[in-house]
Amino acid sequence: MGRRPFFRGRKSCPFSGEGAPKIDFRDTRLLGRYVSERGKIVPSRITTVSALKQRELAKAIKQARFLGLLPYVVK
Amino acid sequence: MPYYESVLIARQDLSNQQAEALAEKFAGVITNGGGKVAKTEYWGLKSLAYRIKKNRKGHYLQLTIDAPAATVQEMERQMRLNEDLLRHLTLRTDELDTEPSVMMQKPSRDDRPRRGGFERDDNFGGGFGGGFSDRGDA
Repeated sequence: MGRRPFFRGRKSCPFSGEGAPKIDFRDTRLLGRYVSERGKIVPSRITTVSALKQRELAKAIKQARFLGLLPYVVK
Repeated sequence: MPYYESVLIARQDLSNQQAEALAEKFAGVITNGGGKVAKTEYWGLKSLAYRIKKNRKGHYLQLTIDAPAATVQEMERQMRLNEDLLRHLTLRTDELDTEPSVMMQKPSRDDRPRRGGFERDDNFGGGFGGGFSDRGDA
């Protein structure tokens, strides 16, 4: 990387391709990675999740919140 | 018949047996209505991320169901009437999942009392940076 020292290559969606984890509202360990310390859903531009998967992910997080598996807010 | 998954949260002051009896009760409603219960899971007494009806903990149960819609509606109606349930969520699924779910694979690690004594839920700690540190370096 001589020319562009800070270029890190193309980002790719963690839920696409082979061996990608399935988005499941029960998997709090997985969902927790896409939630900020405040409990907010992290935008896909930061997490590189594709738009399709981000919608799926957001739904799963909201289902997990409803069931008390994830918090709505962390104060 | 369509497939469903139903997750129930029961009051914390029930015993394990009472919670499991509750699952059996609703499984009975399904079988009476001409459906099948493919799987029943008891996830244990887990702590809730926030208080629900003054409860800090709840017994989690899951039913995996193959039943007509009317039967599922009847089950949901009875769930709403049941005062031992804090909350329930029934979702339609495309296929019947008979494998044990993620909740059974790691036996409620976050509910074990920790020796250090400080309370921190690592369910939602990591926030930024945790999961996507491997940003395309490959």
